[in-house]
Amino acid sequence: MDQKEPILELRGLSKSFGFVDAVKSVDWQVYPGEVTALVGDNGAGKSTLIKMICGALRPDAGEMWIKGIKAEMADPADAFRLGIAPVYQDLALVDNRDVVMNMFLGDELTYGLFNLFLDHQRMARETQRVLDEIHSRIPNVREVVRKLSGGQRQAVAVGRALIRGGEVIIMDEPTAALGVEQTAEVLNLIETLRSRGKTVIFISHNIGQVIQVSDQISVMFHGRMVGTRRTAETTNEEVVSMIVGAKKDLEHQPNS
Amino acid sequence: MNDALTQSLIRLSPGAQRSLRIALDNWLYTATILLCLFFAVAAPYFLTVDNVINTLVSASITGIVTAGFTLVLLTGTIDASISGVTALASVLTAVMFQRWNIPLPVTLLLLLLASVGMGLLSSLIVIEGRIYSLIGTLAASGVFLGLSVGIASGEQVAITKPELQSTLFQAPLGVPLSIWLLFLSYLLGYIVLNHTKLGAHIYATGANYSAARLSGVPVKRVIRIGLIIAAVATSLAAVLATGRANLSLLYGVTIGGVNVTDAFTAALLGGISLQGGVGKIERNLVAVLFLSILSNGLQLMGAAPAVWLVTKGIAFIGAVIIDAVRQRL
Repeated sequence: MDQKEPILELRGLSKSFGFVDAVKSVDWQVYPGEVTALVGDNGAGKSTLIKMICGALRPDAGEMWIKGIKAEMADPADAFRLGIAPVYQDLALVDNRDVVMNMFLGDELTYGLFNLFLDHQRMARETQRVLDEIHSRIPNVREVVRKLSGGQRQAVAVGRALIRGGEVIIMDEPTAALGVEQTAEVLNLIETLRSRGKTVIFISHNIGQVIQVSDQISVMFHGRMVGTRRTAETTNEEVVSMIVGAKKDLEHQPNS
Repeated sequence: MNDALTQSLIRLSPGAQRSLRIALDNWLYTATILLCLFFAVAAPYFLTVDNVINTLVSASITGIVTAGFTLVLLTGTIDASISGVTALASVLTAVMFQRWNIPLPVTLLLLLLASVGMGLLSSLIVIEGRIYSLIGTLAASGVFLGLSVGIASGEQVAITKPELQSTLFQAPLGVPLSIWLLFLSYLLGYIVLNHTKLGAHIYATGANYSAARLSGVPVKRVIRIGLIIAAVATSLAAVLATGRANLSLLYGVTIGGVNVTDAFTAALLGGISLQGGVGKIERNLVAVLFLSILSNGLQLMGAAPAVWLVTKGIAFIGAVIIDAVRQRL
């Protein structure tokens, strides 16, 4: 169907918690430069799957391939090195620090003896560059994050992923707590990321938004990947019926 | 804690809120200046060079302790081991230098190692033991106090060798060493907090522990370093206090003039949040000076020591209230 090699491929990925099979032998392909939406009801296994991709959980079985290479990830830092950049639901921002310090938190630019000193100027410049790149309208990069709108905060979190060389940006329910205007801002952000050649995994409950911005839609149900559709070739109704489990579709799983 | 004060947000218009915030951020500078003016008029001796130096010297011990305390408080950790660290550091200084006749530089070097060890022990309890820092460090303090009683065999060690005092009582450029050390510790603290990676991590860890952790900040190491810095600063202050008394300060609480409430009062007056992540160390230096000026001025005006103790208590309460109000904004 698609000539492109997947940037991220899962083969038979599984994870159980005690007797609960949270993720059951999931095969999944995510293609570079596309927005892949991951949808499913609460408890369908989306979060568990994403946590494994981000290196925050170890799979019980299965393989992950990133850019055609089998990935071994012990922690989130390993995933990051491979270009997997999660944007956490609570955004992992420090409210009373400014945009620049948040952008570089944990990975600050330094100079001087033993790299002891913070390079405030270079960090501010880089921050401005990345924010411009994603068309974010944050007037002052020295503003504390607490004073930003929900959409601006999202931009900071995404900017942080980009600044660290993230290639696969994972956004977990980025519009969940936002108003209409800010939601539009975030959807624009996702489209900007795609136009910059980034790969986006967009987790959402909102089918309307998913259809609006994604290239392909993957649906999880009870821990299984029940189907993947090209967005252009599916309908709102079909996706909804897959989410509620009325329509099982396993033919898309390639290794059968 | 004080639920009634911290329960809900204060409802104010944005303008009033901003004014209140500005007032909370700046009242200390104004108050310090007014206090100086008042004492300058009320007590003529107040503005003499001798008295200014005297005030700064008496600020230096609490001041140095508070500098370290500020750093660790900013990581969201409360270090209640100050009394224990003071006692152990003082006893170790006296015993090593006097009883065991170890040369002063070696004594100080060994003391530095010992204070790093004290900070490590506290951090082990707080981080690995996952015990609330106030309680964990209080326990560590008890251990240090016990050790100091044991090492000193229950006695106060009088120091008769002259080098300690002759070293500590130097006055480069006419300014006593302890004043240099006071300002140096705040200068260092300022640079660390504002211009180093560690400083950025200290603020982030205190302001939002889990966000910092998810962002790759080594939060546990940051807290450990904070506790070590606090122990080293406290030990330095203990050496100064020991030198002044020429005696081991077995009970750091009473004799050294170093105690945890003084550090708390100064830090909270300076606007450091008990929750961590909020505050500026330079303001804490002003808070330390404010308290020292208040004490000095009261003495000059002939107030009884009891007046100062009560004033200090009231200042502590005021500081806690200010912190609570700040958090509700």
